[in-house]
Amino acid sequence: MFGRFLDGLNFVGRCKKYGLGIWQCPNFLFLMMGLITIAAMVGTFFVSSRFESEGVTIMSVTFEVVILMIIGTSVIRGVEKVAEANIMKTEFISIISHQMCSPLSAIKWNMEVIETERDPARCLPEKQMAFLQNIKKSNEQMLKMVTDLLEVARIDQGRSIFEKKDFDLADLAKEAIADFQSLAVEKKVKIESQIESDPQMVCGDERKMRVVLDNLISNAIKYSKEDGKIEVKLKRSGNKTVFSVQDWGVGIPRYQHSKVFEKFFRTKNESRYRTDGVGIGLYLAKSILQHCGGKVWFESEAGKGSTFFFSLPVA
Amino acid sequence: MTGTKQKILIVEDDRALQSALLEILAQEGYETVSAFDGEEGVQKAEENKPDLILLDLILPKKDGYEVLAELKRGPNKNIPVLILTNLEEIDNVQKALELGAKTFMVKSDFSLRDIIEKIKENLSPHQLPAE
Repeated sequence: MFGRFLDGLNFVGRCKKYGLGIWQCPNFLFLMMGLITIAAMVGTFFVSSRFESEGVTIMSVTFEVVILMIIGTSVIRGVEKVAEANIMKTEFISIISHQMCSPLSAIKWNMEVIETERDPARCLPEKQMAFLQNIKKSNEQMLKMVTDLLEVARIDQGRSIFEKKDFDLADLAKEAIADFQSLAVEKKVKIESQIESDPQMVCGDERKMRVVLDNLISNAIKYSKEDGKIEVKLKRSGNKTVFSVQDWGVGIPRYQHSKVFEKFFRTKNESRYRTDGVGIGLYLAKSILQHCGGKVWFESEAGKGSTFFFSLPVA
Repeated sequence: MTGTKQKILIVEDDRALQSALLEILAQEGYETVSAFDGEEGVQKAEENKPDLILLDLILPKKDGYEVLAELKRGPNKNIPVLILTNLEEIDNVQKALELGAKTFMVKSDFSLRDIIEKIKENLSPHQLPAE
């Protein structure tokens, strides 16, 4: 604790980390404000105890207030630059992602044209098709990354559209599991599911909830060991529907638990198992669930695996 | 009346996207017309009187909103317009629908198959042959 306090006083180091000059560094500027305020009060005390005249006292107080306000404006400008940089970062992600979507969609559609070719004379030989499938998969990965980044930027800017319709979460979960069978087979992981047979109606954005399910299930599969399994459960608990996916994979070390839902966060364990992925899947899942009135949480131990849960109010 | 192909105008500046759309629409038996910018889009709509228009929003010369507004003011205002874009923000969707677009499709979310289905949904079944 004391170490962190001392660390906080090292404003030169911290400002270098943010890429700010010392006169733009909020920590330093607030410190200066504090010192000047103290100096002003001490100065006022001495002036007023020295001079009987009210006029001199008023003038010196006015003088100190003016100095304070001048320093104050540079503090505010320094802080504004930090806020500006934050907005620009979101806009930057938005612009780049938009521009990338067009060519990525073009690849996807042109692939679809090749794949749905009915004329056998025009069909590509099997070997070529296999290479094209590689292109298709890489393209899908890129498209997902870009779409996720765009969605994160939109949610940050408050410009995302959240539909509110009743839908069956059980159906959606079963669809997601079916879609992930091929990845599971590829990674030699078995998907076991315990989904209640009754429909589990919830209110929210079905398409976005599918993104949440996809992120959680794909994480569980990708961090599982070979010949392992993941367990997907969905059940009603009081007036909420609770979804969970458990894996027996690498797990998340305790000291990193608080950062798991942060943007672009990837644990060290994670990087050893997969190099793809931007680290926004969980941040996105949390944002979406919050907008739909739900909660997300997890339990995990390094080396033992993780269980990710989310709950939504019943419709 | 039967046997006349329905005509679809595609207003899209990306040639790779145009290429894929033209191919799939031809396979489905539609007649196609292409425009690569907003001005050409308005012009070709007037010349060809298509049965349906696929319209991108980001276009050179005139953007999709301007094209949409012009179409809805002119003699072709009853031609259904389907927006096909990558802009998904609330304000974009609302603006396009207010200007009279029938539906809004985000390119990265739709496969060509999905687009064909939307086209079929929005083309009225008893089309008079194009003049």
